[in-house]
Amino acid sequence: MIDQLTPPDSKILIKAKKVNKIFPNGCHALKNVSLDIKRGEVVVIIGPSGSGKSTFLRTLNQLESISSGNILLDQVDLTDKRTDINAVRAEVGMVFQSFNLFPHKTALGNVMLAPMKVLKQSKEDAKQGARDLLYRVGLADRMNNYPSRLSGGQQQRVAIARSLAMKPKALLFDEPTSALDPEMVGEVLDVMKELASEGMTMVVVTHEMGFAREVADRVVFMEEGELVLEETPERFFHSEHPRLQRFLGQVL
Amino acid sequence: MQTQSSRWLGHGVYLVIMAILISGVYFAGQKIDYTWHWERLWPYIINTESQDILAVTDGTAKVDNSGHLSITPDYGDDPQIVERYDTLVSRNGDLIFQGDTIARLDGWRFGPIAEGLWVTIKISFISLIFAVLLGVIFGLMRVAHGQVWRNLAVTYVEVIRGTPLLVQIFIVYFFIGTVFDLDRFTAGVAALSIFTGAYVAEIVRAGIQSVPVGQMEAARSLGMNYVQAMAYVIMPQAIKRTLPPLAGQFINLIKDSSLVSVISITDLTKAGREVVSGSFAPFEVWFTVAALYLVVTGGLSLVIQRLEKRLSASD
Ligand SMILES: Nc1ncnc2c1ncn2[C@@H]1O[C@H](COP(=O)(O)OP(=O)(O)OP(=O)(O)O)[C@@H](O)[C@H]1O
Ligand SMILES: [Mg+2]
Repeated sequence: MIDQLTPPDSKILIKAKKVNKIFPNGCHALKNVSLDIKRGEVVVIIGPSGSGKSTFLRTLNQLESISSGNILLDQVDLTDKRTDINAVRAEVGMVFQSFNLFPHKTALGNVMLAPMKVLKQSKEDAKQGARDLLYRVGLADRMNNYPSRLSGGQQQRVAIARSLAMKPKALLFDEPTSALDPEMVGEVLDVMKELASEGMTMVVVTHEMGFAREVADRVVFMEEGELVLEETPERFFHSEHPRLQRFLGQVL
Repeated sequence: MQTQSSRWLGHGVYLVIMAILISGVYFAGQKIDYTWHWERLWPYIINTESQDILAVTDGTAKVDNSGHLSITPDYGDDPQIVERYDTLVSRNGDLIFQGDTIARLDGWRFGPIAEGLWVTIKISFISLIFAVLLGVIFGLMRVAHGQVWRNLAVTYVEVIRGTPLLVQIFIVYFFIGTVFDLDRFTAGVAALSIFTGAYVAEIVRAGIQSVPVGQMEAARSLGMNYVQAMAYVIMPQAIKRTLPPLAGQFINLIKDSSLVSVISITDLTKAGREVVSGSFAPFEVWFTVAALYLVVTGGLSLVIQRLEKRLSASD
């Protein structure tokens, strides 16, 4: 019965339909952006500075409200007033460029907090889950360190573990390696690659073209608030699109 | 970099300067035509002399077999019954005139300065608790999303900061105190709490706003609601940053509490004024009062420093 009611495109986890974002200062940051993200898919978004990549990513968990259009997560319309936005956010993790770890909590405390307060897990369960996750991101020996005692790469891995602790349906990454020293980029990308291979749905804004080529199922190019191009990596990096050519010429 | 030896030299120079200053004050005290009587102060702090119990009317003393003392007045009133005494001065059947000493109480008791100190500590401590409560509530309102809350909080802060505490004490005591039938002490606590609360609200607001926005975003993207994010992520960080300015504000509160003496609360300052007129030792009294304030404020500073150390574990 229920199967019959489920629409045929239920493979799609996140659906953005003609999203427009106009900031109060009049800046038109997103112009009719539409994008479908399937379960288990890794989508990489690239584009020049100020093209609206962060803004778009932040609309996907409603850290940024939208001016018009729709965003659906598992067929739940986030722009609907009746949608419990906290419940939606609990299902979509976000990893920030500047880590944003809670400085007053240890690595373990950072990972445990939301499962305890939002999912109402017992302290023991949350702790066990947090230990497992920190072990997975290679920080078994750093659990009781405060963020100030961790390197950038370690902090970002704690931040990823913190998002994973909520058992999200999808993870959003906003330039997760841009604030890192070059020697630490690899350790974070490795964790992300592993997540991708385990089937996590991921939307990644990055300048790491190697990661896009290697891991992405699809690469999206944005410019001036518009979604210009959306292709598989092979076709994307061989595309003759003039605006993309211009951008790649600048960054490569 | 400061070397170890230059630091010791600094301490040494400091001690010399302080010694010069203190001896300067001492010799200045010797030079003026003033005889210092520090010993006169003691009874006003802790009184060890026995206390006279006086007759309230003319009458006849009556001591029964078990030693109960009472005075039967000459004219029909109820007898004066002495509940507790240590030495009996009058005997059974003595004729007593109003104001006669009929018995004595031994043992020590607190003098007016000690009692005033206690009132100052009590009024400051109670006001501090209410000030923190008001400060947190209005500080949170100040950063809330609703414009109504923000306007209300701004009004409170600006009105209170823009008028003198002394005037506020008079208004609270004479106007609000009359409307709600408040006693002096409650009126004093109310005025001090409301006044200090406005400053605490500003400190709390600044503390909250000093926490990077990324913290709120991280908390919200984990599914926490606004209240959870505030309680578990923003406030713990804000409180740590507000401790040093809060310490200053609490010390101000203790000093400002001296103003409640204008509504006849016998705090340390008012006790000092009363003792000066009784002891004829004004300099000693005011130096003592100052030292006692310093002890209270210093103690509070110490407590907050401890707290800061405890909270700095994550730095
Ligand atoms: N809060 C805001 N208020 C007004 N304008 C904003 C705001 N945030 C972003 N913008 C504008 O929206 C546009 C898109 O910004 P966005 O941060 O999404 O770009 P981006 O592609 O992530 O750039 P970058 O690579 O530098 O991170 C920019 O022109 C920016 O100035
Ligand atoms: Mg960005």
